[in-house]
Amino acid sequence: MAKYIVRRLLATIPVLFGLSIVLFVFVHLLPGDPATALLGQHATPELVAKIREQLGLDKPLWEQYLQYLGQLLHGDFGKSILDNRPILEEFFTRFPGTIELTIGALIFAVGLGIPLGRFGARHVQGWGDGLVTVISLLGISIPIFVLGLTLQFFLAVTLHWLPATSSLDPRLLNSVPPVTNFLLVDTLLAGRPDAFVDALRHLILPSIALGSIPLAIITRITRASVLDVSNEDYVRTARAKGLKERRVDSRHVMRNAWLPVVTVIGLQVGGLLAGAVITETIFAWDGVGRWAVQAIQGHDYIVVQSVITIFAFIFLIVNLIVDIGYAFLNPRIRYG
Amino acid sequence: MALLQVEDLVVRFRTRDGTIHAVNGVTFELEEGERLGLVGESGCGKSVTNLAIIRLLPKPAGRLEAGRIVFDSIDLATLSEADIREIRGRDIAMIFQDPMTSLNPVLTIEEQLVETIQAHRKVTRVAARARAIELLQMVGIPSPESRLKDFPHQFSGGMRQRVMIAIALALEPKLLIADEPTTALDVTIQAQVLDLLRNLTTEGRTALVLITHDLGVVAGMTQRINVMYAGFIVESATTADVFEHPSHPYTVGLLHSIPKINAAPGEELLPIEGRPPDMRRAPTGCPFAPRCAWRLDICWTDNPSLVPLVTGTPLVMTGPNATHQIACHNPPTQAEAEAGRPLRDGFKAASPPEGYQDELSGSRVGVDGAGELPVSEGVDAEPYASAAGLPIEPYDDHGNGPRG
Amino acid sequence: MATIAVGRQRPVAERASRGIWRDAARRLMRNGPALVGMFFIAVFLFMAILAPLLTTFDPVRGVLANQFEAPLTNGHWFGTDLEGRDEFARIVFGARLSLVVGVGSVIMGLFLGGTIGAAAGALGGRVDSVLMRIVDVLLAIPGILLAIGIVAWLGRGLPQIMLAVAATNAPVFARILRGSLLANREVDYVIAARSTGASRWRLLVRHLLPNSVTAVIVAATLALATAIIDVAGLGFLGFGPPDPRTAEWGTMLTDTTQYFREAPFLIFFPGLAIVITAIGFNLLGDGLRESLDPRLKR
Repeated sequence: MAKYIVRRLLATIPVLFGLSIVLFVFVHLLPGDPATALLGQHATPELVAKIREQLGLDKPLWEQYLQYLGQLLHGDFGKSILDNRPILEEFFTRFPGTIELTIGALIFAVGLGIPLGRFGARHVQGWGDGLVTVISLLGISIPIFVLGLTLQFFLAVTLHWLPATSSLDPRLLNSVPPVTNFLLVDTLLAGRPDAFVDALRHLILPSIALGSIPLAIITRITRASVLDVSNEDYVRTARAKGLKERRVDSRHVMRNAWLPVVTVIGLQVGGLLAGAVITETIFAWDGVGRWAVQAIQGHDYIVVQSVITIFAFIFLIVNLIVDIGYAFLNPRIRYG
Repeated sequence: MALLQVEDLVVRFRTRDGTIHAVNGVTFELEEGERLGLVGESGCGKSVTNLAIIRLLPKPAGRLEAGRIVFDSIDLATLSEADIREIRGRDIAMIFQDPMTSLNPVLTIEEQLVETIQAHRKVTRVAARARAIELLQMVGIPSPESRLKDFPHQFSGGMRQRVMIAIALALEPKLLIADEPTTALDVTIQAQVLDLLRNLTTEGRTALVLITHDLGVVAGMTQRINVMYAGFIVESATTADVFEHPSHPYTVGLLHSIPKINAAPGEELLPIEGRPPDMRRAPTGCPFAPRCAWRLDICWTDNPSLVPLVTGTPLVMTGPNATHQIACHNPPTQAEAEAGRPLRDGFKAASPPEGYQDELSGSRVGVDGAGELPVSEGVDAEPYASAAGLPIEPYDDHGNGPRG
Repeated sequence: MATIAVGRQRPVAERASRGIWRDAARRLMRNGPALVGMFFIAVFLFMAILAPLLTTFDPVRGVLANQFEAPLTNGHWFGTDLEGRDEFARIVFGARLSLVVGVGSVIMGLFLGGTIGAAAGALGGRVDSVLMRIVDVLLAIPGILLAIGIVAWLGRGLPQIMLAVAATNAPVFARILRGSLLANREVDYVIAARSTGASRWRLLVRHLLPNSVTAVIVAATLALATAIIDVAGLGFLGFGPPDPRTAEWGTMLTDTTQYFREAPFLIFFPGLAIVITAIGFNLLGDGLRESLDPRLKR
């Protein structure tokens, strides 16, 4: 078991390295000189040269890479080209927003997906199962931006049930000082339960939009897993022993069925990070994804590079945790 | 009063490809403490019969269409789900072929034993645990206390099957059904597990139904044998009778396909040619006819019923004096049974009637041999044809010789 | 004189391969949802291929005076947009673009990913590890950001968009080819062929690759669904075709949100088009997966 963990960790490192090289190359081969972009209208040859020197752009490429790597390992992601603020700081200001959105989407996807999957498996080949399959199909066929727009249009703009954009009513912003940058936490810390509820209401539509794909996938895998396990010999043995059906279901079916489901949930995180980019853009949600898109549009490629690096890092760590978690939960690997 | 009476049991499966006629009217009885062997090839309905008894047919496809199953004077076929659940495990227990997949991989042996006990008896966990240790000892698992916390994959194949037996006998059931209990085990372990099974069932006066395709397994284990083919019982007799006086062509074929240690040198092994029948068609005529060397014309159209071998004998269903029954229009004689093929002068197995639909391929086997019998790779047709007294057509011009 | 002709024998492999396709086609035709999917795809292809014949209106230039006409007025089945362009014309020409870019990106992804995967699976060992690390790196970058990154890097244009989307679906094909090759290397008939001296190349082409065909077909169909969505996604975020007048479903969607007060109905059409096309390919992909599954022999 410990050997397994070490092996997985070692396998992750080259990927991270490869990633840093790819991203570094990407940024430095881009058209558009970052120095010129930074100075905009004030660009004069002398100023450009000065900025380039500041940014270290005049050194040979491999030196730049080593410098970059060194900074990276110290947690220094450099400064944004556009507003000259340290990137890591900016990142941690906005990241909690993305996390809240991601958690909201996961709660929606898991909370609805697992029961739906079980329901479909129980009523296999009946109309209930058909309904579940349709929901699953729609989840992966309706792009996030279409779903988001539709939700906004119907539920927010037309019916006024839920707010259309943003994470909090702008009028409440002043009363909630950013402590943790987690809106749901800060509103409570500021002693404003009304703002808390408002923040929750703002969270609903984006969570549904972002969670639609994970919902579809979790529903499918739960249904498939429950069906597979239900046909296993040991479930037949359990029934042959005369156990009550509820017990058969919980101890024998679900205990074995939820393992692949949990794995899949873990693997959804990567997709959620990607989806967050679009979701935050549509809903004008204050998070890292939106920041990244704005950075790309503003040619602030250092920000883009840093965001992608951090995202990828998170993705790899989560995968690692999922793998190790699975090995831990599966007695066959754990007690090898 | 027999412990178990099965009368005219019919089981069918509804699938997307049609209805499978798995069991077509099976009747047999079992006394308390008696050991019965159910023998036949895969798909003959032996497992399904027993799943039907405890109503564990796969849903929604499997349906018990007709018949009575009387156990201890209760008709199991009409019981409610809750009632039959009580009988399962407590009065009738079943063990399955593959102990690796039949045990829950994420629960310890202790949990799987204890839950069985507690499902039927109100005992404390501690008491159940003690009983579990007792059971493991009974089936011969060394250091049972320390092994309670182990998972199934930490046991060897033979040990796992012993655990299954322990679980099955935990509540001292009146009937134990063992479905191919040793098929998945090494030959050396097989003997051990079978011995254990025999000893425990004798001690506990537990009736045993032993399902297998291997005649060798039932030889030392059972008092009576039912031979099944295509969902019918084709021969039913005491074990001794089956081995000494086999009277159904299928049984004869089975016996001759076992290598015997005291066979004379040069004696042939005679395989039974052909393939098992397609169970999607309702049987017309005797299901064994296409493969039978003794067949008469009537065999193609009339399915023989299971009747006493010696006509007129009173029917005794169980015990050492059980009547030898067979379902056959033209049973082999003693000498023919020993030889493995018909010995009558000029006898030729009756060819199928005009337009007979071959169940296997759907192609027509005409009188002039104009049709095609699909031949599975490796089937050597020569002995079959010669046993049936038929000449062989050479293969066509694809250049394949008689041996493929 | 009764005889029984004891059959002819055809070589097993040949019999098997003829059977699989016919069997699969038959099963597919009986699969309800797959038929629905094929219908949707047929509509999509119909629109895409016959676009110029289906409408007389110009999808790119419009008459300003006609802006925001309601659907079904003046021959504008879906109405007109901000610039007075016929919405229906834009949808069918958008289908054309989606088809071209979508199919192009899947083919590109298949070649890029498939080659890497096949090399990894066939050569094994070190080569396998290195190649798969590269694929892992690609997978670690969130899809949309990778695509946007490539478009931003290489500039906006249809080939670049194709490459961007291909980069996101290539890893799937790499995994399939690699997996299939690795799994089949040790299969009996491969060892048999090797023992008769078949060269590595011959082995690859005649024996190992054909085994991946069914998995690739299924994956390609499903990838097409994702590709169409991704292309629209790029357009939606502003990274679509360089000429803003081009009819592309994603860009149309962004445009319509800006003036949804004046013409709320315009939001439906591009969105609906994307969804229906995606549903179509997803249903067909699932249907193919079921009917090509070698385990189900009937």
